[in-house]
Amino acid sequence: MDSVIGLSVFGVDWTFLKPYIVLGLALGGAYALSGVGLVVLYQTTGVLNIAFGAVGAAGALISYYLVNHTSTPQWLAFAACIAFGGAVSLLYGVVLGPAFAARDPLVKTMGTLALALILLGLMAWRAPAGGAFNRVLTLPTTNHRFELFGATVNWTQVISLAFAIFLTAGTTIFLRTTKLGTAMRALADDREITATLGVPVRRVEASAWLVSGLVCGTAGLLLADLFTTLDYAALTFLVISSLAAALIGRLRSLWVTLAGGLAVGLVQAVLAPYGSITGYRSATPFVLSIAALLYLSRHRVVSISRTAH
Amino acid sequence: MRSKKLGIVLISSLLIGLPAAAWAANKSGAGAPVGSGKASATKSVCGLGTGKKATGAPIKIGGIAMLIPGVDFTTIGKVADAYFKCVNDNGGINGRPIKYILYNEQLNPAQQAALARKLVESDKVVGIVGNTSFTECGTNWRYYKSKGFTVIGAGVQAECFGTPSFVESNMGPRYSNIGAAQALVRAGAKSLIVASPDTIAAYADGGVLKVAERAGIPGKSFPTPLPITDANSTILKLVQAAGPGGGVILDFTPDSAPPLLKAAIAQGLVDKVLWGSSTPIANEFMAGQFPEFDGKMFINQEFGLLDASQGPDTRLMLEILKKYAPTISPQAFAQMGFMDGMFATTALLKVKGAVTAKSYNNAVRSLKSVKTDMLCKPWYVGNALPYHIPNNTDITVDYKNGKVVLKEKCFDIAAVDPELAQTRAWEKKYKLNR
Repeated sequence: MDSVIGLSVFGVDWTFLKPYIVLGLALGGAYALSGVGLVVLYQTTGVLNIAFGAVGAAGALISYYLVNHTSTPQWLAFAACIAFGGAVSLLYGVVLGPAFAARDPLVKTMGTLALALILLGLMAWRAPAGGAFNRVLTLPTTNHRFELFGATVNWTQVISLAFAIFLTAGTTIFLRTTKLGTAMRALADDREITATLGVPVRRVEASAWLVSGLVCGTAGLLLADLFTTLDYAALTFLVISSLAAALIGRLRSLWVTLAGGLAVGLVQAVLAPYGSITGYRSATPFVLSIAALLYLSRHRVVSISRTAH
Repeated sequence: MRSKKLGIVLISSLLIGLPAAAWAANKSGAGAPVGSGKASATKSVCGLGTGKKATGAPIKIGGIAMLIPGVDFTTIGKVADAYFKCVNDNGGINGRPIKYILYNEQLNPAQQAALARKLVESDKVVGIVGNTSFTECGTNWRYYKSKGFTVIGAGVQAECFGTPSFVESNMGPRYSNIGAAQALVRAGAKSLIVASPDTIAAYADGGVLKVAERAGIPGKSFPTPLPITDANSTILKLVQAAGPGGGVILDFTPDSAPPLLKAAIAQGLVDKVLWGSSTPIANEFMAGQFPEFDGKMFINQEFGLLDASQGPDTRLMLEILKKYAPTISPQAFAQMGFMDGMFATTALLKVKGAVTAKSYNNAVRSLKSVKTDMLCKPWYVGNALPYHIPNNTDITVDYKNGKVVLKEKCFDIAAVDPELAQTRAWEKKYKLNR
C-alpha cells in the first residue's frame, strides 16, 4: 500500500521512515522517563541531578555483571539495577542533601556532578570501554516483536513509551491527591515555610530522592537495551537528552517534559536517513530546548535598568 | 605387630602423599611445560621446545598497537607476547630470552612516529612484531624502510599491504571484505552493502564495490564513525539500502559489532538480508551471544577454525592462551598474535651469528613456505618484494549453537585488485608458498 502511494517525506520514502519513528518514540519514552524523574526531584529538593545518567549506567553494568558472570536469575539482576539507582540516590539525598539544602541551585547541581564523576571513574576502572568485547544487555522483552503499520516493534520499545506515559500520569495524580505529594509541592514553593508548618522536610526529600533514583535505575535499564550497547560514557551523557526534556518542561510541567522527551527522541531518530543532516542529530536536544525556551518565554517582559553615576 | 605398624605407616603415607603429589603435579601444569618437546607434523613447540628457561641477555623486540574507543588491537601484541613467553620458557633463542616491548597508540600519527623511533633508536629493538593500527603503516613505512626493518604484524590499511616495510599474518579488511562479498554473491545476494569504520572505509570497502560491479549488482559503502553511538539507525540504514535479498557486510571488530547485531535482532531485521562480515567477529563469544544469526552469517575467516582439531599450531595457541594470557579468549586477533610471534621466532632461530637488527630483518625477508594449520597456504615474506600479501586464500564460517563452523572451504580471494594478481604471479615464479 505504501509503495502504491509512494509518499515521500523530503525525499525519503515514508515506508523507510516508519521504523525510525518506532525507534524515536521508544528512545523518547526513556528520555521522558528520565526527564520526569529529574523534574520531580528538582521540584522537591531544588537539585538538578546531573548524575542521573551515571547512576543508571552503573546500575545497568551491575545487571550485566550479574546476568553474565553469576547465576543470578535475570529478573533479580534487572531488579538490582533499579534498586541500585534507588539506593545510591537515597544515600546521596540523605547524607549530602541536608548539607546542600541551603545552598544555591548551582552548588547543589555541582554536588551531583561530583557523584557523576565518581561513578564515571569507578565504571572506567571496573568496566572500561574499548575492551576486547563490547557489552550488550538485552531485556527478554526485546526478543518479542510484532508488526504495527508495517514497522517492527518490540516490547521493550512499547514498555519504554507506556511507562513514560504511566509515570507522568501517575506522578501528576500522586502529587495532587496524596499527603506526601502535597508536601512535595509545598516544598517546591517554599522549603522554610513548609518546615515551619510541621512537614517532615527531610523525610519528604528522601522520598523524592528514592523515587527519582528508582526511575533513574529503570531508565538506565531501558536505555542500556534500547541504545544496544552498554558503554558507560555514552549512557552517562544520555542525561543531556533527558535534561533537554526537563528544560522544555521548564523544570515544572511533567506533561510538557514528557512531550519534550518524545520530541527529542523522535527528531533524533527521524533525521537519521537524511544524509545531509544526519551528522548533526546529536545537536537535537540543544536545538529543541533552546527553541522551546525561546518560544515559552516569548511574552516575558525583560526590564533593563541603568543606574546613573 | 611390626608389620601392622608398617602397614599403617604405608597407608598413611599414601593418603597424605597422593593428594600432595596430585597437587604438586597440578601446580606444575600436570606434565611437560607448554610448548616443550620435539616438533613434528602433529606437535608444535615454542621455539626450541627445551622446557628450560632462557637466562641469557635478552633480545629486544617491539610492537605498536592501536587502542581507541570502539577498537582494541592490543590483543594481537599481547598474544605475540604470550608466545614469546612460551619461547622463553623453552630455551629462548639459543638460550637468550625475548623481551617484548608493546606500546599503545591512540590513532595519532605524531605518537605513532615517535613510538617507532623510540623502539628503534632508544629501546634498540632488533625487530618489530605485532603492529596493528588503522594508520600506523602509512605513518611509519618510510621510516622502517630507511632503517631496514620488515615489520611482521596484522595489517589494516593499504600501506600495510602495499609497501615493502610490512608483512602481515592476516589479509586485512579489504581482502576479507572481498571474500565475504564473494560468499554473498555465491549465495545469491541481490546487492552488496558494506560498512567499515570511516577511517579505513575508502580502502576497506573498495574491493566489495568491485565485486558487486563484476557480479552486475548494486554496491554501496557506508563509512561509519567510531564509536558507533546509534546502532539502531546505522543497521536500519544498511538493511534499507540493501533491500530485500540484498547482502550487508559488517567490517567491525568485536568491540563495535555486537550493538549492530543486537539492533538487527531488536528490529526484526535478521531475515531481511544476507549477512556477511570480515574476520574479527569469527569467535565463540559472538556466536554464543547471537544465536539468532545461526546459519545466517557469511563471515570471511582469514585463518583456520579455532578448534583444537584444526592442527598442532591451533592446539599450541589454545594452550598458550590458557597459560600465558588467560584473560584473552580464543579469537582471530589471538591467531594473528600467535602467528606474528611464531614467524618472528622462526626468523630469530634462523639467524647465524649475532642477533642484530640487520641479521634479524634479513632472516625475516628470507622466510618462505612457512607452514601452519592456521592458514590455507604456507606463509612467506620473499626477498625484495615491493609489497606482501601472503595470506590471500581463506574460508567462510558461520555461527551454530554457540560455535563457529565451516561454511565454505579454502578459496582464493578474487583478484579484483592488480596487486593480488601480481602477488600470485610472484608466488608461482619464486615458489614462495609451496
